[in-house]
Amino acid sequence: MTIIEGLVSGFFQSISLSVLPYLGLGAIFGLIIGVIPGLSGHFAMAMAISFLYTMEPGAGIAFLLGAHSTVAQGGGLTAILFSTPGTGQNAATLLDGPPMRDKGLAGIAVGAAMASCFLGATFGAVALALLLPVLRSVVLFFGPPEIFMLAMLALTFVAVLGKEDITRSLIAALLGLLMAMVGVDNVTNQQRFTFESSNLADGISLVPVVLGLFAVAEMIELWVNGGSLAGKNTRALSARETQKQIFRGIGLAFKHWWLVLRCSAIGTIMGLIPGLGSAPASFVAYGHAKQTSKNKESFGKGNVEGVIAAEAANDAVEGGALASTLAFGIPGSSSMAILLSGLFILGLETGPQMLNNHVDIIFIMIFTIIIGNLIGTVVGMFLVNPLSRATSIRASIMVPVILTIIVTGAYASDRSLFDIGIALVFGGIGYLMKILNYSRAALLIGFVLGFAVEKNLYLALLIDGPLFFMTPIPLGLGILTIGFLAYNVIGISREKKGK
Amino acid sequence: MRRNVLKGLVASILAVTVQGAAGPVFAQDAAAFYEGEKITWIVPYKPGGGYDEYARLIAPFLERYTHARVEIENMPGAGGMRGANEIFNAPNDGLTIGIINGSAMVTNELSEIEGAAYRVADYNFLGRVVADSRVLVVPTTSPYYSLADILASESPVKIGATGLGGSTYVDAVLVGSAFGLNQQVIHGFGSSSDVRQALLRGDIDAMWGSLGSALSGVAAGDNRVIVHGGMEMLENFQDVESLFSYVEQAADPVHSQMILDAWSALNAVGRPVAAPPGVPQDRVEFLAEAFRNVMQDPEFIAAAEEAGRSLSYIDGAAMAAIASASTDLTPELKELFVAAIRGEL
Repeated sequence: MTIIEGLVSGFFQSISLSVLPYLGLGAIFGLIIGVIPGLSGHFAMAMAISFLYTMEPGAGIAFLLGAHSTVAQGGGLTAILFSTPGTGQNAATLLDGPPMRDKGLAGIAVGAAMASCFLGATFGAVALALLLPVLRSVVLFFGPPEIFMLAMLALTFVAVLGKEDITRSLIAALLGLLMAMVGVDNVTNQQRFTFESSNLADGISLVPVVLGLFAVAEMIELWVNGGSLAGKNTRALSARETQKQIFRGIGLAFKHWWLVLRCSAIGTIMGLIPGLGSAPASFVAYGHAKQTSKNKESFGKGNVEGVIAAEAANDAVEGGALASTLAFGIPGSSSMAILLSGLFILGLETGPQMLNNHVDIIFIMIFTIIIGNLIGTVVGMFLVNPLSRATSIRASIMVPVILTIIVTGAYASDRSLFDIGIALVFGGIGYLMKILNYSRAALLIGFVLGFAVEKNLYLALLIDGPLFFMTPIPLGLGILTIGFLAYNVIGISREKKGK
Repeated sequence: MRRNVLKGLVASILAVTVQGAAGPVFAQDAAAFYEGEKITWIVPYKPGGGYDEYARLIAPFLERYTHARVEIENMPGAGGMRGANEIFNAPNDGLTIGIINGSAMVTNELSEIEGAAYRVADYNFLGRVVADSRVLVVPTTSPYYSLADILASESPVKIGATGLGGSTYVDAVLVGSAFGLNQQVIHGFGSSSDVRQALLRGDIDAMWGSLGSALSGVAAGDNRVIVHGGMEMLENFQDVESLFSYVEQAADPVHSQMILDAWSALNAVGRPVAAPPGVPQDRVEFLAEAFRNVMQDPEFIAAAEEAGRSLSYIDGAAMAAIASASTDLTPELKELFVAAIRGEL
């Protein structure tokens, strides 16, 4: 089957009556899972997989991937409206989404987020399709030295995220790196910072940390301050006003098409790399948007570009993440491991067999991502009104309800009571960081990338020796990292002099 | 939406209370006992991957033969040990069972790793789903075609592995020490998927893995299997030699044979299905019988084949014998195994 035949066949299968209803069902399911804090795409797929046994391959794959592809969209809604990231990927959306809501621009933020998600996902899916002929070489491009250098480069974005106060940002990022070291070391089997607790042996999980740092912390603040999430705008936006704002938001995403494109590219590339995941992708995109924006000062205070960057990147990841799973049957993340299982259950083989004989299935996946996100955008628009009405509920009612959901979410991903404790502890830490002006984003980036940096450094040293960075790509990335840092340090010292 | 969440909450609270309240167990007709009950089936890993897939394949058939509802619960953590602990220490009413990573649990127990709150030999085994043959895999472009090539290699052969004590690691160091291979074990990869990718990139020369996971790479034309660790011929690769055929060439054949025997006993533990100790005998027998029916159900066998999952069923009694044999080692061998697991070889 040639690629063109696969494309045509995949497209008609995707919109056929035997596939499209499942795709829609999956997309709506994923959206709802995304809206619920703590439940991630991984969770949506794990639930969806039980239904696959009786499904036809096309329908099954559309259902499974549909459920995964809209999760970040739902999560963005929660992030903007409730200051609570629906999933880890939406943590970067918190930097500018909620401030927009406080200005009474929730509709614009949501519209922009939804449209950026759709555009980002489409970019990632199209990129995947274009890369198909060379997919295998692209995936093998990234080895430990390259991943180590890329992770270092991503780490330097911390500097941009908290430029206002670089010392505090560095403290937060280093704390994040330290947190990543908790657990039994994969290389030496040494227990590190576990305090001999078996609960900490596997390290600290990401989901409860994100929930704590952002969601629980917001709830504490809301509780302390009283009032409601809608804040001073006691008058909730009317339905018509919200609709108007949503369409303006969608327009804004298209108006910033160049930014969307760049951030989608960042997301897709980071998705290609196993082990980096989508949370750092959206932060890096956010950092990039801030770096290149004309009015950097308004970032963090409700700049729609911040929302667009983060949401475009976190959905563009999808296309990239599929690459290694499809090319070699090697899953790059736990979600992709479930997808792979799903493919097996449906009797499909990955790797060259799929690239040669089942290109149509690959295109069903590609169209699933695009159509799923389109459905997610439309359904999401209808969800905005009832959800935004809820933001004007009093704190004394709101906080207990959302906290209950957060606690359930923290428990659900690994069925671990310990994770509830983690979420609550990090809630306290997150609240303190917020009032003391330490960047929670920097901490999260350090935490997520710490493991990848350490593991790949060790492997690179073992495989290529101490001069592992002396090959063209890692060397180029290294120079880029140093250049980027230097540029920022000079910029900061100049600003200080100016003051 | 909120109502759904609340429903979920109520359900989970109920589930916790019900589990907690399962009090004294009265002997009664086992079949009548299971009728309409809920059996919790623990999978000690995340969804996705072999253990989860086997469990989900088996569950609907087990429901058919027990007339109980089978609910799968993923309990990942500590390399499968959290789930194994959970099964071992579950209420002994026979309503909690699960699949465990038998070989890894044996190595953990032998090395007295912290947090192992179970004794492999004390589980009530319902049987074994599969025991993977271990195979050494190289890329198709590799100059190595057999163990002889590796034995003859002048530069150290780079063998990739996950963490210390993981099966890819234990295989590499035990076989290495049995034959005195000139090898460098590169460990620290996050998962066996990572190791496979490094193999494709050419960062490493070879890796140990299960036959099941090697099959797709071989079918894709990316990999080649050059030697296997079983005593019998591999069905899919009849021209691949067994490690045992090289024992005579080792410096100390008796010693090598001893290591390989213990190693294959360890691999034979495979993936058993177990209930906690202390479950009333009639219920264990009922569950074991139901499990046997599942494993012999032609429809189930066809489903497993379609999903690309091999089966090598043995019954509960045979499984118990294998489990106790695997933990019962001579002091010398035990020392060797523990050293291998701790990375001191």
